[in-house]
Amino acid sequence: MANRKKSLLKVIILGDSSVGKTSLMNQYVNKRFSNQYKATIGADFCTKEVVVNDRVVTMQIWDTAGQERFQSLGVAFYRGADCCVLVYDVTAPNSFKNLDSWRDEFLIQASPRDPEHFPFVVLGNKVDLDNRQVSTRRAQQWCQSKNDIPYYETSAKEGINVEMAFQTIAKNALEQETEAELINDFPDQIRLNSDNNRPGNADNCQC
Amino acid sequence: MEIDRTPPNAATSDSNSTCGEFMDAEGEPEQEERSELSAGDLYQEAELGAEEAEQQRHSIISELRDELSTRPRHPRTALSPDGDGPSAAAGQSKDLAASVESLALSTSTSTKTEDSGSSNALDEEAYDYQHDSVWRGQKKHIFILSEAGKPIYSLHGNEDKLATLFGVIQALVSFVQLGQDAITSIHAGAVKFAFMQRNSLILVAASRTNMSIQQLQLQLSDVYYQILSTLTYSHMSKIFEKRKNFDLRRLLSGSERLIYNLLANDSSNARVSNNIFTFLTNSIRVFPLPTTVRSTIVSTIQSNCSKIKKLVFAVLIANNKLIALVRMKNYSIHPADLRLIFNLIECSESFKNSENWTPICLPKFDMNGYLHAHVSYLADDCPACLLLMSVDRDAFHILSEAKQRITDKLRRSLCLQSINDELQQPYNAKLHQQVVNIPDLRHFLYKPKATAQLLCPMLRHPYKSLTEFGRLEAIYCSMLHRIHNHSRPLKLIYELKEREVVLAWVTATYELYAVFESIVDKATVIKNVDKLIKWIEKEYDVFFIRNHATF
Repeated sequence: MANRKKSLLKVIILGDSSVGKTSLMNQYVNKRFSNQYKATIGADFCTKEVVVNDRVVTMQIWDTAGQERFQSLGVAFYRGADCCVLVYDVTAPNSFKNLDSWRDEFLIQASPRDPEHFPFVVLGNKVDLDNRQVSTRRAQQWCQSKNDIPYYETSAKEGINVEMAFQTIAKNALEQETEAELINDFPDQIRLNSDNNRPGNADNCQC
Repeated sequence: MEIDRTPPNAATSDSNSTCGEFMDAEGEPEQEERSELSAGDLYQEAELGAEEAEQQRHSIISELRDELSTRPRHPRTALSPDGDGPSAAAGQSKDLAASVESLALSTSTSTKTEDSGSSNALDEEAYDYQHDSVWRGQKKHIFILSEAGKPIYSLHGNEDKLATLFGVIQALVSFVQLGQDAITSIHAGAVKFAFMQRNSLILVAASRTNMSIQQLQLQLSDVYYQILSTLTYSHMSKIFEKRKNFDLRRLLSGSERLIYNLLANDSSNARVSNNIFTFLTNSIRVFPLPTTVRSTIVSTIQSNCSKIKKLVFAVLIANNKLIALVRMKNYSIHPADLRLIFNLIECSESFKNSENWTPICLPKFDMNGYLHAHVSYLADDCPACLLLMSVDRDAFHILSEAKQRITDKLRRSLCLQSINDELQQPYNAKLHQQVVNIPDLRHFLYKPKATAQLLCPMLRHPYKSLTEFGRLEAIYCSMLHRIHNHSRPLKLIYELKEREVVLAWVTATYELYAVFESIVDKATVIKNVDKLIKWIEKEYDVFFIRNHATF
């Protein structure tokens, strides 16, 4: 069971620019927050080890650029994600509206096997601010309509709910992992005289 | 920072003559693509007239010296690291370099903040390696990851703790892919990065050694084949087709030692051995034996195996060298596959204690299926290892009986004794005698063109020390690279180095790379090479196998 110990999850954080993606990651990984805004160029990466159901899991967190002009990493970037975190700013209604397109974009680019059940998590960030514009109910309704995506309201600044949200992310992603077992598939027997092992394709190379 | 990409059209590569030198050094992009078809192609012989080579046989040295004097000695290191070298001429690459730099900046800021804000013990552990001077100081790193950017293997350090770095690698690959292109290498000061993408895997080498990009890629393709040898191509493809996020380590656990042994074969991992040269020349070494003994061994294997159906290869090896290979008619074995076999035997002490039945995929033979190998040492008192490889997964008992008969017969015909006699010497006596007779000759590599087999003498003073051996390795890397340069292959190199005189010579029938004492003159070198070649031709059948017999 030694190999069961090693588990790594690729987690992608998406959302409009300046909703707090990088801040959430920094708060979660480093327990730090800075009020200064610095746009992410391309992508940023962090790693964090968590324990889920007695298993040590390494989370490889891919923080992406929200600004369109810095989104230049290509389709391959989303490929093989285990979980996708959608972030919006509760004080910015547009960032909430755009969740739909972020989700669609992800599903198109990553094309997971079972898009209906792909683990997303939605985070409504900046709840520490006074000028809230998107109500909890509205956000919850949207999440329910998308196959019950778990929803958390967070503050990267004050560390509210951040730990818990990421714990859920790890747990949901792990549940997906255990589902199919492809391991005990033994390849076909080699058939001699088949085309692919005809000699002579590299005469100068044989010993 | 300079980035090599496969340009969208070939025109970019030959348009600028000033950067020709450097483009040459990296090989034509089309050639890079060809290398995906077969690693062997990397060292495909230059298609230059053989007769021409013969004609120039006597006058070529002086000619080459002229050429050498007009050519920068180390074109690569002459590059300025900040990218205002010739590469900047291609505006596209410059753009790319700029964005890659900004990407790198973005990640480095993240590591910086993590460094200062290390309140969490787990985090500190997670970034250990990237701030660890030993890890950073390694001469060679190899990283293997899935297309999704999930770590599979790192030569140094726990790959889990390097997950961030793997993310950056994937981002680089993905970014270039976006432009319908593929990244092949990055040159950053003295560090070279070679990239290779195969079947949902990304393989990266980062090296401060003298290996060229092609040589690093050859090493990457060797590791790729090692992984296929464990999983097969079809199995791995099926898995990634179904699950892009699959963590391949789950299937490779237990085979890490094979990957490590394959990669840690050079001076960058403190290994002083001739093994690295078989890899660099894409060849194998042959166990020296009197011709009568070898033919007795071959006929013994033939007579005891000829009636066994579905037996494809019988391979007898000792001390990382091939004693005999008997094959099914119409099938042959590629040196890359043989190196995987050598690697397996070298890493598996447990084979010594019992008979074994193990599936092994030889990717150059058939990358989609396993051969079933009966693996055992001939006898307790003879450490030569026999592999009988069949496509029949139920052949164990038949092969086991055959092996017993082979051992008995070889014992009676005193072949076991002959193998042991050779094994008990620290080096082959004849070869040693010959090298001693040419006192100015320090080391050489000889590879006949007809076979992928390599002859090299035991390492002697001064190359027994790690630093000196590292220099020898660098000399050969550079000579091999220049001789096999895709766009400007050379036939002869004669170079006076600070501490040795080196010669590389490709003729119609062989390749020779030789290293002499620094004090010898050209006439002595020519005389000595002549002597060596004549001797090798005389003793050819002791050190090489001309044709592999069939069952």
